[in-house]
Amino acid sequence: MATKSHEPVIGDGSLHIGDRVVYPNQGICRITGVETKQIAGQNWEVVTLSREEDGATVMVPKGKVMGIGLRKVADVAAIDRVFDELAIPNTDPQLDWKVRHRENADRMTGGGLFGTVEVLRGLHALSRVRPLPQKERELYDNARHLLVGEIAAAMNIPLHVAEDNLDYALWPPPGMTRKGRPLPPATLGPPSPTRPATEDDLGLEDEELGGAVVAAAPAAEESDEEEEQPAAPAVPHKPAPEKEKAKPPHKAAKPAAARKARPAPPKKAAPPKKAAPKKSAAAKKASRKPAGKTKVKRKR
Amino acid sequence: MIRIVTLSEFPPDVIDFVTRRLHAAYGMGCELEGEGEIPADALDDEQSAYDAVKVVDEMDDDVTLYADDKILYLTTEALTAPPGPMGRGPVDGYAQYGGGKALATAHGLADKGVPLEVGLAKRAAHYVGHLWDLHHCFDPRCAMHPGWSPGFAAYPEVALCLFDREKSERKIKLGSS
Repeated sequence: MATKSHEPVIGDGSLHIGDRVVYPNQGICRITGVETKQIAGQNWEVVTLSREEDGATVMVPKGKVMGIGLRKVADVAAIDRVFDELAIPNTDPQLDWKVRHRENADRMTGGGLFGTVEVLRGLHALSRVRPLPQKERELYDNARHLLVGEIAAAMNIPLHVAEDNLDYALWPPPGMTRKGRPLPPATLGPPSPTRPATEDDLGLEDEELGGAVVAAAPAAEESDEEEEQPAAPAVPHKPAPEKEKAKPPHKAAKPAAARKARPAPPKKAAPPKKAAPKKSAAAKKASRKPAGKTKVKRKR
Repeated sequence: MIRIVTLSEFPPDVIDFVTRRLHAAYGMGCELEGEGEIPADALDDEQSAYDAVKVVDEMDDDVTLYADDKILYLTTEALTAPPGPMGRGPVDGYAQYGGGKALATAHGLADKGVPLEVGLAKRAAHYVGHLWDLHHCFDPRCAMHPGWSPGFAAYPEVALCLFDREKSERKIKLGSS
């Protein structure tokens, strides 16, 4: 009791020196003490933490300990609930990147265990639909890293075993059950695009590839149009409206190309003037040729 | 340098294939260091498989390691791991995250219909990746994709996705500095 009375109060009193805590976005740390540091001419009482992963020292002003989301490592019951949640397949990922980004950022800075789980589940579900952009791929890795570290710390198991168990829930192997309930076995997800689509992709290629372009489009080019995507599957006659939607921009492009092509025939018809009999044939050919070919000829 | 220690007998061409694939995946030297014996007391209670964690922890070898060296043990024995919150699942290896030792087994590759050298190389690349803190990847073509997923057999070539390749390069650079 005597030692406890001398022990400094950290946060709301639930944290003590030597406790293992979770620092949001940093991972598992151990409270090493409370020190007074002189910073910018002022004396600050700071709580020093040592990050277990690499031994880095983190200092938090004592008054802000609770505000930043510092918390104790989750208990076994909480981890069990995490796996219950992970084992429920998420088939409805947030497709609006702005909403997704805001929600995920809030969850990660909040530092809650279930917030991290939500981030991982959401991005995992999204990765089953399409490849993640670089920033979200990093976030996915970061969330996984934090979660694996906390599971391993809470259950006192090696990190590798913790990650394998995490993925037994996300990608259940055949025959895997959770509390007596069989889980659906893992299916093959979409691979990342070998070659990212460039902005040079024109309407013509879109037409050739059809819906595949939408699936392989880099998520970095995400826009507000994404908001319309969830609504698309709800339309009963999916293929027909998509074609109709896809055509207008292409149609708009065609007149432009045609306009460019129309003045070309007289220009091309001009050189054959020397060969008078061929004139009409050349003009006919020029009118039949696609816009692309006429462009090439004009360059000459 | 990645140093391979075999705990079972492997044809030389298989080991040669694995070393070349590891070298290509991580841009590091990889060579066969020698042979070892799997610790007998690492057998699990049912005496049917070896506890992968115990094998790595209790492995007694005299391999000389330098700063960034990693040891990879290769075996053909069945492996198991301590039960976790999801119970027991398939185990084809073990790695000390951010550490220096990893273990991969060739057991069960025939069931997946993957050639021995190809499957073993992919598993080896997977567990060596964990030594550089790489986590599991959702891309089925990446070597860090979980080994029990259908992606393992569908894409047997040893390749890392762009994210994992960059991360491993960063870790290797940091380690060498």
